[in-house]
Amino acid sequence: MEDALGITVPDNARIIRNLISGIQYVQDHVIHFYHLHALDWVDITSALGADPGETAKLAQSISSWPKSSAVYFKAVQDRLKRFVESGQLGLFANGYWGHPAYKLPPAANLMAVAHYLEALDWQREVIKIHAILGSKNPHPQTYLVGGMSIPLDPNSAAALNADKLALQRQLLVTAKAFVDQVYVPDVLAIAPFYKEWAGLGAGAGNYLAYGDFPIDTSGDPARLWLPRGVILNRDLSRVHPMDQRQITEQVTHSWYEYSDGDGRARHPWDGETNPKYTGPKPPYEFLETDKKYTWLKAPRYNGLPMEVGPLARMLVAYASGHAGVKAGVDGVLKALGVGPAALSSTLGRIAARAIETQLTAAELLTWHDQLVANMKRGDLKIHNGAKWDPATWPKEAQGWGFHEAPRGALGHWVRIKDGAIVNYQCVVPSTWNASPRDAQGQRGPYEASLLSTPVVDPNKPVEILRTVHSFDPCMACAVHVTGSAREPITRIQVV
Amino acid sequence: MPKIAIDPITRIEGHLRIEAQVDGGRVAEAWSSSTMFRGMELVLKGRDPRDAWLFAQRI
Repeated sequence: MEDALGITVPDNARIIRNLISGIQYVQDHVIHFYHLHALDWVDITSALGADPGETAKLAQSISSWPKSSAVYFKAVQDRLKRFVESGQLGLFANGYWGHPAYKLPPAANLMAVAHYLEALDWQREVIKIHAILGSKNPHPQTYLVGGMSIPLDPNSAAALNADKLALQRQLLVTAKAFVDQVYVPDVLAIAPFYKEWAGLGAGAGNYLAYGDFPIDTSGDPARLWLPRGVILNRDLSRVHPMDQRQITEQVTHSWYEYSDGDGRARHPWDGETNPKYTGPKPPYEFLETDKKYTWLKAPRYNGLPMEVGPLARMLVAYASGHAGVKAGVDGVLKALGVGPAALSSTLGRIAARAIETQLTAAELLTWHDQLVANMKRGDLKIHNGAKWDPATWPKEAQGWGFHEAPRGALGHWVRIKDGAIVNYQCVVPSTWNASPRDAQGQRGPYEASLLSTPVVDPNKPVEILRTVHSFDPCMACAVHVTGSAREPITRIQVV
Repeated sequence: MPKIAIDPITRIEGHLRIEAQVDGGRVAEAWSSSTMFRGMELVLKGRDPRDAWLFAQRI
């Protein structure tokens, strides 16, 4: 909308948007690592047999985090034992425990379980920043076309005031401490046991980043903290400029039809969403993968499949010479004893996400200080309402909104006519990454990344989960309903 | 050459299915499928564009 109507948001709105998105990265990436991904690498049952003294030694050797005594880890282990003895594993019920692909020693498994539990408490605290700036989480409520709707006033109880800013700073410090002292050291401690995964899961090899976190209100794409660009064929010597007009979506293998033929590649401004399910009637054994087989369209940039997400962002920033990213990436590569080529992998995605989290956790404090400085100067402007009234709009307009969501490049395209939306198309991060094949038969990034993945036991395909989870899939937020009879939630079919 | 289907993939947000052909202990071919229609684009048609963010945010 702001792009379509040429609206510039006030500096305070820019900063608050950066803060809301930035803390989202930090919370989301930590949740992804511990709660959505770690159990592909950490064997909970092995933690039961760990010596808490060994775990304490390990924890103290990698970090100054205070919760690291043998007594503490013994208490965590006892808690875990009670879980297991109760027969109600809850969060830990569904795993391939004991699979030979798990390589961590028991002491490291226990440390990871302890941090899994700590991260649950931590994430609930740090996301209170969304309550402060956005009134709630998820789905902050204070966005407005033209800025934000949260009032700024250091002295008002009903506004973002000095007290709330003090709480916000404290939460940002809490967020950064856990990232620096727990998350990043854990990634570096676990990764060496799984180095083969730096050579697996490469994927499309093309990376797309819209860039995000404006440094000022100029709207200049060169003034973004995380830069914009495209990398092709893993060639880090060149960052290509990103032109959104090169983005199209195809439906050759998707359950949609286009009015002028399914072979077309449509730019989102001319996009169509006409659902037409032609797959097998459930329950079915397998999809008809030579025909249409998914509800996702196939987005392409200049006709090519693209990976988006933390790895794409870090590679584009690294290859663009971003000082902070360069230092972060080089530090991790050195710690693991690998070169930049290893980043295009399952392990590379995990490392890139950790590097991004650490940089963002630090940058958040800078944005916070900018907001405080503006307010101290008496700048309390939060919204530009010059074009709020539809009477000020042209008869027709079109715009493109971009954002780097935690999971990657997110674009929304809108066409407006007579004050109403005539077309709106969202191309979201997981549509890029989980894309099906296109008209040329090119695989999407998940599909390409799985080729050559080892599968020791087809009935327990933990290796496939490792690579798919490394992308942090987000198909659509949903409520999952399962039966009460405790049947297996996921069905693995081997034919 | 066993073919496997994992559905749903858990510990993600949303519904994802992976089918894979396994040959000699390695994945030889893979297909990724989202098994749920979203349709936010249809919800937004005809609405006041100033409200779009509030709907689209739910994705």
